[in-house]
Amino acid sequence: MPKNSIGLTAKSWAVLRKDIQVEFRSRYALNAILLFGVTTLTVVSFSVGQKNLSGELYAALFWIIIFFSAMSGLAHVFVREEDAKTATVLRLTADTTAVYWGKLGFNFLLLSLLEAVITPLFLMMTDAILHHFFLLLIILFLGAVGLAGATTLIAAIISKASVKGALFAVLSFPILLPLLIGVINGTTKALTATGGVTQASSELQLLTSYAVVMITASLLLFEFVWEE
Amino acid sequence: MVWKIVLLVVMTWVIVGAFILPAPQQAIGEASRIFYFHVPQAWVAVVAFLVSMVASVRFLRNGNRLEDDRARVAAGLGLLFSLLATVSGSIFAKVTWQSYWNWDPRETSILILLLIYGAYFALRTAVTEPERQARLAAVYAIFAFVTVPFLMFVIPRVLPSLHPSDSIVDESGSFAMSLETSVVFFPSLAAFTGVFIWMYRLGRRVTTAERLRIEE
Amino acid sequence: MMSNYTVLAVTLIIWFGIFAYLMVLDRKTRRLEVKK
Repeated sequence: MPKNSIGLTAKSWAVLRKDIQVEFRSRYALNAILLFGVTTLTVVSFSVGQKNLSGELYAALFWIIIFFSAMSGLAHVFVREEDAKTATVLRLTADTTAVYWGKLGFNFLLLSLLEAVITPLFLMMTDAILHHFFLLLIILFLGAVGLAGATTLIAAIISKASVKGALFAVLSFPILLPLLIGVINGTTKALTATGGVTQASSELQLLTSYAVVMITASLLLFEFVWEE
Repeated sequence: MVWKIVLLVVMTWVIVGAFILPAPQQAIGEASRIFYFHVPQAWVAVVAFLVSMVASVRFLRNGNRLEDDRARVAAGLGLLFSLLATVSGSIFAKVTWQSYWNWDPRETSILILLLIYGAYFALRTAVTEPERQARLAAVYAIFAFVTVPFLMFVIPRVLPSLHPSDSIVDESGSFAMSLETSVVFFPSLAAFTGVFIWMYRLGRRVTTAERLRIEE
Repeated sequence: MMSNYTVLAVTLIIWFGIFAYLMVLDRKTRRLEVKK
């Protein structure tokens, strides 16, 4: 890594801030994600919203919405750079690791925003009962970190493919499975009376270790994807 | 050359023994014979993943395209064997528990392996430039492999394991196989591994030869 | 369900077929490499 007087945090922050600014102008990814999320939620609510389903089912539906919304928007952070041809400039001017952290941060923010919008709507539009608020909060946070952590590297990979299509979802799904299992099980415990933070300790452990492992692996592998 | 003859003999013995000798799990009946083929297939699928991952790491380290050839061939075989394992496991599940799919931990893991291999080749076909294709595929293979520990240790804890899917192998955690079963099972493991190695070497030679020919 | 012997016979045939195929491939590959 080039030795520089500016620290890694500052550089990452710069990448992140630039991405936020650019995104704010067009709001492309944000629109894609939120639109997808709200549309899917509406379909879910319409079909099974008032049927008083189990906590498990609501948890599964919730994360299906989040997962597919994420698939529709998280690749944007790299695809935009390649399409707009700004990727080359970024490669030359910014530190590789800083680029990763910045993009990771952006995807995390995008996901957090998605969750912040969908969660209250979901609870309002379905019969799901939130028994353990604090647990859900932790799961949403860890889920966002894990999801962003696992998919940012994949987003970088597919941005270099000639035909993108559904490639992002195809590559992400197998890798996200442990995370999906963790968040769905954990959310089930948040939506069921008998659940709670102590009950969900194994899920929380899983989610934390998943996030740490995936981000670490991404940091190590990112340069091979990013640098030409 | 000799070892190929040995392989022929061993596999023939395995097939004969699998159907002539008593069924490995009397409680389940004749269908349990699939065990002799299903488990080695899954084993090879995992070994193939390991080989592919190691070759991918080497490729990223030294940029030698030979390593990429290795990774690609191993992945192709991994795809084949995980497909075989999923199908044979599904047949076994249907005959024994009357349903083709149950989301039992082992079933889920082999399915995920299949999905990873599928994704690997979807990625390869989507990147046309050879150097880039090799590099990105290698990264994905390694990244996907990182999730394997989670699959191996986490899923069994989280998914309900009510089904006695491992009743044959893991009954008491320790060695639970009778002599009659061992006499067919272990040779089968060796034979399937032998077939894998043979196909791997062939595939590698063909892939490398093809690549060198194109590069000229 | 067919008898064990039928399944055994079919499986053996499949295996011999696979083996023969691999042997042929082996020969072909060797020829491919020698030619270079």
